Amino acid sequence: MPMMRRGQRVKIRTSKLKAAPALKKTAERTRGGKGDLFFLFAVVFLAAFGVVAVYSASSYNAEVQYGDAFYFFKKQLLGFVLGLAGMIGIAFVPYQKFKKAGIPALVVALILLALVFIPGVGKSNYGATRWIGFGSFTIQPSELAKYAFVLFTAGYFAKNPARMRTFKGTLPVLGAGIAICVLIMLEPNMSVTMCVAALMIGMLFLGGTSYKTLASICVPALLLVPVLIAAEPYRLQRLSAFMNPWASPKEEGYQLIQSLYALGNGNFFGVGLFNSRQKFRFLPFSESDFILSVIAEETGFFGVLILFAVIGFVVWRGFRIANSCDNFFGYLLVSGIVLAFAVQSALNALVVSGCIPPTGLPLPLISAGNTSLIVTMCGMGIVYGVSRHNQARKFIRYSK
Amino acid sequence: MAIAFIFCIFLARFFYIQVIWEDELNYLALDQWTREIPVVAGRGQIVDRNGELLAGNAASYSVFARANAVKDADGCAEVLSSALGISYEEVLKKLTDKSKSEISVVRHAEKSVVEKIEGKNLDGVYYARDNTRIYPYGDLACQLIGFTSFDQSGSTGVEQYYNKYLAGENGEILFESDLVGVDLKGATAAYVPATDGLNLKLTVDYRIQSAAEERMKKVLEESNAKGARCVVLDPRDGSVLAMVNLPSYDLNDIPRDDLSLLNDESRNRLVSDIYEPGSTFKIVTAAANIEETLKGNANALSLDHIYPSSRTRTVDGTKIKCWSDHANGKHSNQTLAEALNNSCNPCFVDIALSLGKETFYRYLTAFRFGKATGVDFSGEAIGMLLPESTVQNCDLARIGFGQTIAVTPLQLAAAAASAVNGGYYYAPRIVNEIYSSDNSVREKIQPNLLGRTVSGEASEILSSMLEGVVRDGSGKHAYIEGYRVAGKTGTAQKYENGVIAQGKYVSSFLGYFPANAPRYLALIIVDEPQGSYYGSTVAAPCAKDIFQKIIEINRLEPFTEEI
Repeated sequence: MPMMRRGQRVKIRTSKLKAAPALKKTAERTRGGKGDLFFLFAVVFLAAFGVVAVYSASSYNAEVQYGDAFYFFKKQLLGFVLGLAGMIGIAFVPYQKFKKAGIPALVVALILLALVFIPGVGKSNYGATRWIGFGSFTIQPSELAKYAFVLFTAGYFAKNPARMRTFKGTLPVLGAGIAICVLIMLEPNMSVTMCVAALMIGMLFLGGTSYKTLASICVPALLLVPVLIAAEPYRLQRLSAFMNPWASPKEEGYQLIQSLYALGNGNFFGVGLFNSRQKFRFLPFSESDFILSVIAEETGFFGVLILFAVIGFVVWRGFRIANSCDNFFGYLLVSGIVLAFAVQSALNALVVSGCIPPTGLPLPLISAGNTSLIVTMCGMGIVYGVSRHNQARKFIRYSK
Repeated sequence: MAIAFIFCIFLARFFYIQVIWEDELNYLALDQWTREIPVVAGRGQIVDRNGELLAGNAASYSVFARANAVKDADGCAEVLSSALGISYEEVLKKLTDKSKSEISVVRHAEKSVVEKIEGKNLDGVYYARDNTRIYPYGDLACQLIGFTSFDQSGSTGVEQYYNKYLAGENGEILFESDLVGVDLKGATAAYVPATDGLNLKLTVDYRIQSAAEERMKKVLEESNAKGARCVVLDPRDGSVLAMVNLPSYDLNDIPRDDLSLLNDESRNRLVSDIYEPGSTFKIVTAAANIEETLKGNANALSLDHIYPSSRTRTVDGTKIKCWSDHANGKHSNQTLAEALNNSCNPCFVDIALSLGKETFYRYLTAFRFGKATGVDFSGEAIGMLLPESTVQNCDLARIGFGQTIAVTPLQLAAAAASAVNGGYYYAPRIVNEIYSSDNSVREKIQPNLLGRTVSGEASEILSSMLEGVVRDGSGKHAYIEGYRVAGKTGTAQKYENGVIAQGKYVSSFLGYFPANAPRYLALIIVDEPQGSYYGSTVAAPCAKDIFQKIIEINRLEPFTEEI
């Protein structure tokens, strides 16, 4: 996986930035480049596989709860179609246009996050208020907020790359990140908060902030973790359940034990697609946050390996696209989106396998949940769009 | 790089869980993936020595419901309430109680009832074979046989002692189901068959048992006694032929609601309760003296020793009196045989004191007083025997005629059996053999010889003296022409809180026949008879009638002197 060589990168970016107006013209002229099709196919493959996996994991529960085995499948299929449309659509938008979208996106995201707390608009589930609903249609603003933050940060730093050199310069980014974190934390949703925090630090790192600045953010953030855990009793319970789930097999430990049972049943090659035993209501959230358990059960360790090979491939190609970007904005935008995807995938896998305490975090592109699916696919659409642009630029360069 | 590293960590973790840890996880998970319906093992039967059924099973069924799997609770409740005869509301409550994964709607239902439900195909309602214990003779030998708990495990008696043989092993039908117990479509059910329990053949003879019960019921009623008990042994090997404890109760209708009553009536007092035996114990004292005489012990009183005629003996400053006032001269100048005939207390005081503590206690130990008889029955009492180290002469003197000692009836019967059978002490036994339902014998329980008490010669001499008691002495109410009945009477005063309870007696008789080669030995105990209270008048006639029944049942010919 090609990681960024930080200092070098920044220099290249600043020098290339001056040529931006000219490049813009060439990009417009060469519309229709193929872009990174491998990346595109891998993303579509993951999302399509997600639809199948959601069907398998949810069919029994859907039958019992809604009298329709295809209930979640239909929802997910709709999300897939909308996501695909959004992805293709967004790929054709010249990504430089998103530069100015940063601040409005951030404002909208913050408003939506705040709306969650307005009674009647916010919807509660499993003891947390994480959704806003319009009739039967619900969205999860925290999913949007992640990408709004990436958009904002990329735009802000790209405008004046010198900003990130000083601590003062990073303050707006920190402010935006912390504002999002606080709002999500209040829902409460600890895992997405962590995800956004990790994303924020990652973006600063990729942007080339000095180590001193980075340290002055990371150290307090790390110190805050135990405080936050102590603040909510349920987190402490989950933590102890994580240490020994069999100490409370009916309460806190239940979720993790069920996930482990699913994994264990999968063995090396799995019990076969649609043959999960744990999906028969034993494993809660089997179609959403713990869909990976069901996948692991049905396709075995082998299946997990392939799935993460594909996810890893998407991440690798994503960073490659970021790297071959000729401007700082594109670079930050793509790497931010890819980073969000990678961090969330990794966190989910860590939870499912019991490496870290259970938290509610979907596996992007795969888990049931339309907001996440559509937003992630659109984000990937942006990445693909950038790759098209890059290719066109290279083509021009070579043809010269 | 950091991301690649984290990917490796969780992939390694997945590998560990899925490939290495999976066995243990699967084992744990299997438990939650299936629901079991028990297949109840048939409980073993209990039959008497001739194969007469004493405890068996009636096929019955249990109906279970899993509220989470019930689809049409109202419809189900209607069908079930009409079929089972339970109120609609009660059934509906059970069918809708989703807090329990499984609930039994009814247990021990008849087959015909279940057949009514069978055709209806009710979702979430299941039935499984169950057992209902049936005791064809109701209260016959009820304390001996015992009863089972609601879930068919033995609670008392033979049912309890031999539970591990009788119980068998339950099987189960495993259904694959979801979290709340709804069966999965198209899933197969695994059947683990039950292993039926083994049957028991008792040493008890149903015919003797019922004859004894009938007679004891009669005496209980006639004498208005508090209780009447009887144990019949075969002295040749310790087999228990009958055990009667009255009052009794119906095994098919156990008073489970009244625990103290149940406790009282289900107690096998022949084994678990102790009493002061009184004069019947003189058999043991006499046996010890005869054996010591034959051995040439100078302290033993010879067979033609003439006992002093005084009514009293003074030991350690306390005066011990005979029950008789010695006024009519019958208790004058007695030999041992006459002392037994007259049941004269002072003579046995003389024996106990002259044998001395050490010798007498050796016999008491050999006859297993203060020890368990080793009978195959739970809750055996060991009696009360003063420790040799603390016993005073005045105590020893009283033990000689059966006071200051407490024994279980079975203990006394087994000791007496060994005194007259040639000196062989067999542990009493209740179960003869354990066999499976295809009639193959799994275990034959052999007579258990625990030791010798006296020599054959001493036994013979004692027996002829005891035959004299029935022919000429206090036991003449047990006399049967030609059958050589022998025995000894006993009348003991009861103690309450350490003092003699006025008017409360235990009348007993220990008898056997034929005297020269005993085959049937009975100990009769009538607890607190009203009116006449002598063992000779209350208990001895019972023994006679029971022996006469045994003679009828087994068509025994009179025994001639030559045998």
